[in-house]
Amino acid sequence: MEILFEENAKKSEKIEELVSKFLKEVPTLESKLNVPMVVFQDGVNNSYYIKCQVLARIASKIIDLNAKIKARDPESFRANRELMLKHTTYLKMELDASKGREFNDLIVEYNREYNADKPLKVWGGQHRAHAISGAINSANRYHGFKVYFDLNEKQRTEVALISNTNMGVSDDTFDRMLEETTFGNTLRKWCQKIGFLGTKEDFPDVGSRSEKITVKLARSFIVNYYMGLDKGTTIKSEDLDKNIHEPYVTETGVSIDARYAKMMNEKGNKILGDKSLIEAGKKFLELHRTQYEKVKGNPKKIRNRKAYRNKALVISVLCGWSYIAGLLQNHRARLLNHYKIPKTTSKIPDPLNAEEMSNFKHDSDLPTYRGLGTRQSAKDMQRLAQVFLAKSLSDSCILDKRFLQKAVSTVVGLTTLKRGYV
Amino acid sequence: MLNYRDYLSYSEKYTQLAEEELDKLKFLIPSILLSWIAIESFINNIMDDFGSLPEDLFELHERGLLLEKKVIFVDHGGDMGKFKLDQREYKRLEEKILFLITKFGNLNKPYKGEILWQNFEDLRDTRNKILHPRRNIELELTVEKAYKYLEISKNIIQFVSTNVWHKKISF
Repeated sequence: MEILFEENAKKSEKIEELVSKFLKEVPTLESKLNVPMVVFQDGVNNSYYIKCQVLARIASKIIDLNAKIKARDPESFRANRELMLKHTTYLKMELDASKGREFNDLIVEYNREYNADKPLKVWGGQHRAHAISGAINSANRYHGFKVYFDLNEKQRTEVALISNTNMGVSDDTFDRMLEETTFGNTLRKWCQKIGFLGTKEDFPDVGSRSEKITVKLARSFIVNYYMGLDKGTTIKSEDLDKNIHEPYVTETGVSIDARYAKMMNEKGNKILGDKSLIEAGKKFLELHRTQYEKVKGNPKKIRNRKAYRNKALVISVLCGWSYIAGLLQNHRARLLNHYKIPKTTSKIPDPLNAEEMSNFKHDSDLPTYRGLGTRQSAKDMQRLAQVFLAKSLSDSCILDKRFLQKAVSTVVGLTTLKRGYV
Repeated sequence: MLNYRDYLSYSEKYTQLAEEELDKLKFLIPSILLSWIAIESFINNIMDDFGSLPEDLFELHERGLLLEKKVIFVDHGGDMGKFKLDQREYKRLEEKILFLITKFGNLNKPYKGEILWQNFEDLRDTRNKILHPRRNIELELTVEKAYKYLEISKNIIQFVSTNVWHKKISF
């Protein structure tokens, strides 16, 4: 069968060999009709691919839905989001497949480096691919594939990203892919070391559905810790409470946050050996677990809502807490207070007093303000940082209404002084 | 805990009730007091915001105003020869407003002669007449006046917010 390179594709013997090998292994409609196979080259990332039609019964045996970004790394996890097999859209897709619908533009990579018996690694259209496999007994139609060859990690990540851009893929999935491609396993290993993730567990692909730390949260924790640490070295003990502290949320989605990238380029694997950072992570996890258990275990005193259970994992709470953990590294007595879990009482069953936080409103807030620790706005993060900073003044603190009001009053007062002092 | 928005809302509801009643006074009195309380709540909370800051960010006499405490000269004991804050000393709402907008508003023009301040003084005088009744003082309250005072209350709150927080608030 003749293999041609499209006029924009630079001829490559290696690619020609791979395509030829693929065509010998996988029967296509083009082979059957003996029409030339055209090789294309992506103008952006220079990856090579062909477009071909493969029968459902053949495809179903060789497609791999557990595609990995790092093909040779045994520690690399499945990169795609979880399949939603009960979603109505998928159920319709499955029904259509069984009635003989032909699908197109399934994005796969021909790769035998892992799971060699299933060389077509699916990067785009995993639901369609699954639906086709499920329907082979009732329909065996040709389906359109875009098959990539000889991808490197960067090309692979981009293929995965562009293949999913039009679908409801979460930023958490993008974050997970980009994290592994750019920085490897360091962040995941750090989270496993702390206990945020199990030893063989990966970050969730949709953070809002899980009750676990996401790539974004883990990145934000570490960035804020180091930001606080830097700030703490420049500030005297007596001035700690005279400053507005401004935690930071790392960007999420199809690009890597610049501040996080800078931090990782400087520190990289060293974060795995930073004892103070690890201690901070473990103390935070202790707070999260206590909050979780207290909410879950006190249904008569507090509603067992996900938002309350996971209050520590709300981005503004996490960022505020980790920033202050960094800030107080050079102020040991206050750091130890910060690490103590806030006390609970018969009226306040959870250490973070999630319900009171949610009801909180300052006079300067809009009527629609939804309370402390509910959003990722700069204002909310400043307030949470102040809550934890004020808490570090005492070793037996209760985050009651009065305490929260005073902490927020301080932020509002300091902000006004900074902006409008005459 | 109630805030200024709650008090404004109650004030409006009482005025609406007054519209439907023959004996309007029993609703107009609380309505007007609530308009005043809304300002008082708003201003006191701002004072608390500043009062909660580290001590050395304000002069002692300023903290006295913020915390509503008397500044005294100590003539005995360990603090002898120094000034300090002593027992509670209530400050007038007008003084607090003047302090806040002068300290943070950077206003260069006099504002006491302007219509907003005159209206505020009108509300204050009516509130005083209600709270300190005398036989020879006639209360002339109307629904229109109650609505006017509600607007004055909102305008004063907005005025202070704009000058202190540099932003308009929503009611």
